[in-house]
Amino acid sequence: MIRFDNVTKIYDQKTRPALDSISLEIDRGEFVFLVGASGSGKSTFLRLVLKEDHATGGIVYVAGQNVANISSWRVPKLRRGIGVVFQDFRLLPNKTVFANVAFAMQVIGKSRGIIRETVPEVLKTVGLEGKENRRPHELSGGEQQRVAIARAVVNKPGILLADEPTGNLDPTTSLGIMKVLDKINRNGTTVVMATHDDDIVNEMRKRVIELRNGVVLRDEAKALYTSMMPIIPAADSGSGRSAGAHK
Amino acid sequence: MRLAFILGEIGGGLRRNVSMVVSVILVTFVSLTFVGTAGMLQMQINQMKGYWYDKVQVAVFLCVDTSTSPSCASGPATDEQKKNIETLLDSAAVKPYVTSWAYESQADALKHFKEQFANSPIVDSVSADQLPASFRVNMVNPEKYQIINETFSATPGVETVIDQRQLLEKLFSVMNIASLVAVGIAGLMIICAILLIATTIRLSAFSRRRETGIMRLVGASKAVIQLPFVLEGVIAAVIGAVLASGTVWAVAKFFIQDYLADQYKDTAFISANQVLILTPGLLVLGILLAGISSLLTLRKYLKV
Ligand SMILES: Nc1ncnc2c1ncn2[C@@H]1O[C@H](COP(=O)(O)OP(=O)(O)OP(=O)(O)O)[C@@H](O)[C@H]1O
Ligand SMILES: [Mg+2]
Repeated sequence: MIRFDNVTKIYDQKTRPALDSISLEIDRGEFVFLVGASGSGKSTFLRLVLKEDHATGGIVYVAGQNVANISSWRVPKLRRGIGVVFQDFRLLPNKTVFANVAFAMQVIGKSRGIIRETVPEVLKTVGLEGKENRRPHELSGGEQQRVAIARAVVNKPGILLADEPTGNLDPTTSLGIMKVLDKINRNGTTVVMATHDDDIVNEMRKRVIELRNGVVLRDEAKALYTSMMPIIPAADSGSGRSAGAHK
Repeated sequence: MRLAFILGEIGGGLRRNVSMVVSVILVTFVSLTFVGTAGMLQMQINQMKGYWYDKVQVAVFLCVDTSTSPSCASGPATDEQKKNIETLLDSAAVKPYVTSWAYESQADALKHFKEQFANSPIVDSVSADQLPASFRVNMVNPEKYQIINETFSATPGVETVIDQRQLLEKLFSVMNIASLVAVGIAGLMIICAILLIATTIRLSAFSRRRETGIMRLVGASKAVIQLPFVLEGVIAAVIGAVLASGTVWAVAKFFIQDYLADQYKDTAFISANQVLILTPGLLVLGILLAGISSLLTLRKYLKV
């Protein structure tokens, strides 16, 4: 579903690359955590999938297509196949919950009938029945994030990208959000979530890709937030973060 | 659905920026009014050219008592001198350039003068012997006026040769300058309009950056994102263009057609309906103005 082939992203020639020759593949229907310290390149990875930015080197494939070959007028089509959720929700403050979700359908030309049918369904999936007519400021942070998720998936994208979606939420609320994301993943959507939240990663036991300074440090299935791999250098026992750094 | 959505966005945008929209309307209105005025002046010039160029003649004025030119040294033109001029007009050197000519005696001249200034007290103080007799020459090609001038200006008994077309040319050049001034002012105003539209759209795009950001993320097409902004500018400009057309039409109707044409009955004036052909031009110009300046602005502020 998503494939990176030696992808490098350099924002500024004077600094180190944000992504440094990364190769990895994420299959359809997978749930992947993208972890790593601040500045390790997680958001950059997501931006490249969205074609918000172009790779400096290498090739990014999304749904089998080299995104560099997608002309600017077809970029919207690529983005319709990808839902995005952010830490700061990004809802429209003067629209109701229903209208916020419906907005994503209106702007791509869906008919009123389909919108009226689909939006309540999606709101139910994210656990917001009965709150259709609230405005964002009348909702808790967790509920606002659910609205954002509903908006991201209402057009049934094959991929959902989440950039620290629980970053502003307390642990219990975060867990609720993770249940929603898991449900969406079970319905067949590939989910890639960048996060700092170790509890959640440990709880979910999904594939974990750890970045550091723009390179893949580890890539493990059903993993924890910190590596479970046996550490080879005896001196470095604790985190194992440097274990795969030199390959 | 998408159309309804775009219309809703436009409505919202227009409401949010009422004062900017009004200023865009006013500045396009004023600039296009100047463009329309220039167009109207040109139409009037063409109208007068068409009307007058068939009628203008070259006048060969004969000497009277008070003449001072060297060729009038011998006093008022004699019958013999007149005969000589008539022969010259029918001679092989001149005839090919002349379609017809007529003699206007001093009595005729007085009669025409009285007709022309019927309402003026000056008529009573003029007598026939003060007005020169003349030969009125219609040219095959009015541009060849020099031939007549060279042939007759030094001929005895001729005081002066006047090309009426040159009198008209003076009037036309004044009108041309006026229309150039109008175009110049219009040009400045159009620059104002373009900058103002660009600013309006920039503000509008800024105040809606949340919406457009989300639209981009969920895959709205460039047209859906940008069209509301472009159309906002275009609608304002079209309103300005309609007001400008109305103003130009009103000037043509109430000033030119109802007032000037009534005052100067023997001059050809354009009618208000003729001026209406300027309207599509003004509309297109308004749309281009707004469309181009908004597209240029959006390219910078609303990347997809
Ligand atoms: N638009 C940009 N222009 C220049 N440099 C950038 C830009 N965006 C990111 N970077 C740099 O690229 C590197 C990776 O940034 P990125 O945002 O991908 O990190 P991250 O892993 O998402 O961090 P965080 O966990 O804090 O969100 C950082 O060094 C950052 O300074
Ligand atoms: Mg980030």
